[in-house]
Amino acid sequence: MQQLSQIALASKTYEVDNFAAAQELYHNNGWTDGLPVVPPTESAVAACLEWALMPPDQLIGVEPVREQPITAEKLAINAVMAGCLPMHFPVVVTAWQAVLKEEFLLHGVTSSTGGCAILVIINGPVRHEIGANSTFNALANSDRATAVIGRALRLALINLLDVRPGGIDRATLGHPGKFSYCLAEDEEDGLWQPLSVVRGIPEGLSAVTVMAAMAPRQIMNEWTTNPREILETFAAEMRANQRHYSIYGGNYVIVVPKQLREPIQAAGWTKRDIAEFLYDRARVQRSEWADVGKGAVVRDRGETVHTALDSPDHLLVVAAGGPAGGFGAVIPPWFGSKTKAVTAAISACVDCERG
Amino acid sequence: MIIRVLDPTNEKKPAAGQPAVRPVTLKGKTVGFISNGKEGTKGFFVQLERQLRDVFGVADVVWRTKSNYSAPADASITDEIKAWQAVVAGVGD
Repeated sequence: MQQLSQIALASKTYEVDNFAAAQELYHNNGWTDGLPVVPPTESAVAACLEWALMPPDQLIGVEPVREQPITAEKLAINAVMAGCLPMHFPVVVTAWQAVLKEEFLLHGVTSSTGGCAILVIINGPVRHEIGANSTFNALANSDRATAVIGRALRLALINLLDVRPGGIDRATLGHPGKFSYCLAEDEEDGLWQPLSVVRGIPEGLSAVTVMAAMAPRQIMNEWTTNPREILETFAAEMRANQRHYSIYGGNYVIVVPKQLREPIQAAGWTKRDIAEFLYDRARVQRSEWADVGKGAVVRDRGETVHTALDSPDHLLVVAAGGPAGGFGAVIPPWFGSKTKAVTAAISACVDCERG
Repeated sequence: MIIRVLDPTNEKKPAAGQPAVRPVTLKGKTVGFISNGKEGTKGFFVQLERQLRDVFGVADVVWRTKSNYSAPADASITDEIKAWQAVVAGVGD
């Protein structure tokens, strides 16, 4: 691997007088999300590449519909702009490798009128290495790592795939997760397997799960310790989403903070038990659409039952949130099962040493 | 203090497709409709077919619907395009 000073970058360079001028350059060219960016200097970008042990021209993947290549150098530039430190970069790279999988349907996800964002869920030891916080204020400005990693994904979409509002991004309404939407699971404070392990990644490895996701819908139930009653509240919110947004089954995330997961775990419920319960309870009859103004598309299929999950495997249960409060969140899919959540391990180069 | 910063865009744009040769007239031609299958497309295409036949003398209109409205048209549909002289696609919700 080349030393930092030897890494030759291929991107076009611009000279600006100062920090403020850099902001105007990036904003005027449509290269931001509207917020200030960290000026991506050669040394900052090279440091990201060196940390990940990647040459600048390493191909991270190719967007399958428009056949746009994503290289390590361009991804690192956008990561620096988002505020990433070098240690955050491997997470950004893995998230991109995941969204470029065919089953994620990245072009549909980013160009749809249904304005979803890409949710990134981090598991494994890397959470501690980068200082990701899984507790207070999870899903929002809980910590630096999740904030900048989620933002890096969005800036790279804007700059590498032209996912700008009114351009490729045709969303009627977006949601705040389109600035940054990243969450680290609380694997230590509880009994459940990490999401990555549930989804097939060997224990002890760091991993990233990506999902095309609508905004989180918060629920509250602090008046019971009965697992079924707690989960009925989650199921009701999933049914509400089916009635008001999309009736079709797909990946759903539920975020379960400590106050709600402790009684569920104490009763011996695993994540699989939860998934099977919600698969059974989160379903609506098509005729219910008539109750919410959508009678025109019920037609002769009123008796059809739609499950929120096509199978229990499609539920992503994530432990996260502050230590007190009977709150939780349901994060619905963009639209049914047209896109699939993807989990990928953060790769480690076994022959390499960081020098 | 001068700061040297990098271009965050892809710079290398994918090769642009070439627009097909435009027919001088639609009279006697075959026009394909590629629908995304959404509810709102039906009325639009019904009306458009009527206009194409009555006003422009189109001989035939072929309707095809994508299997996934968020993905590009299926290969079986794009294969058929060779037999059409014009295509209407990209109609939204």
